[in-house]
Amino acid sequence: MSFNNQNIVVNKRRMYINYCSDKKPLENLEDQENLENQENQENQKNRPLKNKINIDGKEIEFLPGDTIMQAAERGGIAHKIPRYCYHPGLPIAGSCRMCNVEIEKASKLMTACSTPASNGMVVHTNTSKVQKACTGVMEFLLTNHPLDCPVCDQAGECELQEYNYEYGPGTSRFSETKRVFTNATTKRLSDKITLNMNRCINCERCIRFEETITKSYELVMLNRSWEKELTLSNYESDENDKDDEDKMPTKGLTSSYQGCLADICPVGALTFNDFRFQKRVWFLNRQPSICDACSKGCNIEVHFENDIIYRYTPIFNEKVNRHWMCDRGRISYHDVEDSGRITMPFMNTIDSHLHSVEWMTVLSYLKSTLAIAKKVLIILGTDSTCEEAKLFINRIPSLSKGEVKVCFYNGTGDVSSSKDDEKIDYLLQMKDQTANTKGLELLGIPPLETSYVPDSTDNTDSTDSDVVIYFRSGRAGVGGRGGLELKLKSSASLFLWGVFYKKELDKAALKQIVAIIPGLMTVEKSGTFINCDSLSQSFTSAITHKGAALPADVIFQIMILENRSAIRS
Amino acid sequence: MVTKTLNVSRKHEIKEKFYLIAVLQGMWITLKYFCRGFFLWKSYTINYPEEKRNYSQRFRGMHFISYDENKIENCTACYLCQTVCPAECITIIAEERDPLKNPSGVWKEKKPKSFDIDALRCCFCGMCEESCPKDAIKLSRNYELATRTREQAIYNLDHLKREVKGRG
Repeated sequence: MSFNNQNIVVNKRRMYINYCSDKKPLENLEDQENLENQENQENQKNRPLKNKINIDGKEIEFLPGDTIMQAAERGGIAHKIPRYCYHPGLPIAGSCRMCNVEIEKASKLMTACSTPASNGMVVHTNTSKVQKACTGVMEFLLTNHPLDCPVCDQAGECELQEYNYEYGPGTSRFSETKRVFTNATTKRLSDKITLNMNRCINCERCIRFEETITKSYELVMLNRSWEKELTLSNYESDENDKDDEDKMPTKGLTSSYQGCLADICPVGALTFNDFRFQKRVWFLNRQPSICDACSKGCNIEVHFENDIIYRYTPIFNEKVNRHWMCDRGRISYHDVEDSGRITMPFMNTIDSHLHSVEWMTVLSYLKSTLAIAKKVLIILGTDSTCEEAKLFINRIPSLSKGEVKVCFYNGTGDVSSSKDDEKIDYLLQMKDQTANTKGLELLGIPPLETSYVPDSTDNTDSTDSDVVIYFRSGRAGVGGRGGLELKLKSSASLFLWGVFYKKELDKAALKQIVAIIPGLMTVEKSGTFINCDSLSQSFTSAITHKGAALPADVIFQIMILENRSAIRS
Repeated sequence: MVTKTLNVSRKHEIKEKFYLIAVLQGMWITLKYFCRGFFLWKSYTINYPEEKRNYSQRFRGMHFISYDENKIENCTACYLCQTVCPAECITIIAEERDPLKNPSGVWKEKKPKSFDIDALRCCFCGMCEESCPKDAIKLSRNYELATRTREQAIYNLDHLKREVKGRG
């Protein structure tokens, strides 16, 4: 039993480690080059000899400049080399000494992460000499590491636990008392990150992340050896008291990618406050999905148990987000779990109050309204998937005899189409806070006319639609809440379809809302988003839908099936 | 699904059919214990609510959570008992302890917000006690678990933190 479990864990890590690298096998690259250079075969003859390295008996081709670790990543056997300070997205430090490998004809062990690979090198990763070195490194790391795995949030996905299971000495020869940082045991580095310095193994991944990825330089290591301590560097300069060395840092971490610090920390030293003590990680189910908090479309993994989402973590995708993810996207799962979200069908009755009703009441009312309407306007929020947009374009004309017009509405500040979209920082975040503006444009849907939009200077009276259906999945119109304050004809009836919140309805003009049809958030449905770089990404649902909400295709099926049965009778 | 009924006929001997020997054996045992109780005043039952039977020191009864001298529970809400429990009767919700109310330092930064044990589901196997890294959850020798409603049999942290001397 335990043996099988160990195999599963190792296989998962093997997949994860080899997948999370941009160093791809070279054979595929060469095939592409061959296709391109079929004409000039003379060049191929003159090409330099292939560089090949032998790691554990496997011949791997690599590019000049690769280290042994990166060559192993190209061969798909990087999981054989343990590592702490090495991370494929960060510069190489070579400080943990965990990735020792034995190279033939070299007198000593070398670190795989920092030794350049050379042609004809023969590397062994699992000899008794390497095992002994790894055991030594583990013993030193564990001298001061507290035994608080029951409390630590990292337990279950901790690299120290995993490698200690494989290489650890099992017993400790350390009889002295362990080092305790009394001031930094539970230290808030910001409102998002908590530091426990006792657990730190000094790999300095966090410092290299701040230096190279976010370029905010907010973390430094103070002192040496046992007193080596991770601290904030942004002390506020106090002119009156220049000699005081114990100045308190005032700002804390300020970058908008702090959640990544907790991700890359191999132990539980840096933890994300939003997930801190919420759940033990071995209870969580995982499902890959797409973040819908901006038009970048970062690849995420939804961690949930019993259909309750506990966190989002980024997945490596070289073309979109690499290893990273912004904090706004990371905590955007709170909108799914919001208690104010409307998950029951509502209808506006005579006394202009919204009342919860049966599904069939709303749908038959919507169908009868569509059947007699002369002009139907469908406003798609730019967070709806391409499949849903297609559904509306194809199915609404079969339900209504009048003139049907489909357009999209973004509603993020002054963004109205993908031309206004731009990067708002150096890494990932985009100005457009909806996921599929580009996709709806590529389907040929025009943007909403400015005369409908609130706060616009266009006062021409072109808002002559009888029935307006506003469809969104919780993100479009967030900035100005524009969807609920549309300038409409007073006799027009507005159907809200999708994800809406009670706090929005307080602001809205209730008289025009005829019915609310609950819909699904991105993590609850399947579909396709096209991100700001015109990259099409499909996803499947992670959790089942909340409350009585139904997918759009099911609702259309119900309405159209009713139509057919009516014709038959 | 087709079910078959199989009739098994058993042949009894004449000796077995004539129950006299078994009846006499039973009567002899009854008479033996009647004489012991009636003439020698040796009883085999106890007056239960007033007197209690002495069970083994290793008897496993209702759980309790041990605490330290500051009345702070030893439990750190590590969920190991919840993970290992075969009957899934333990439900924990964790939260962070207020640093000001944490005199024991780092070791108790996490605490259970709620800790419920459904005694109706529990099979008293003692795996939670075995897995606990802080020796917080223990099984007392208390076996009187009768309640009037099912809801009363779900014990919360206030009940589990009761004082138990000598394991009850």
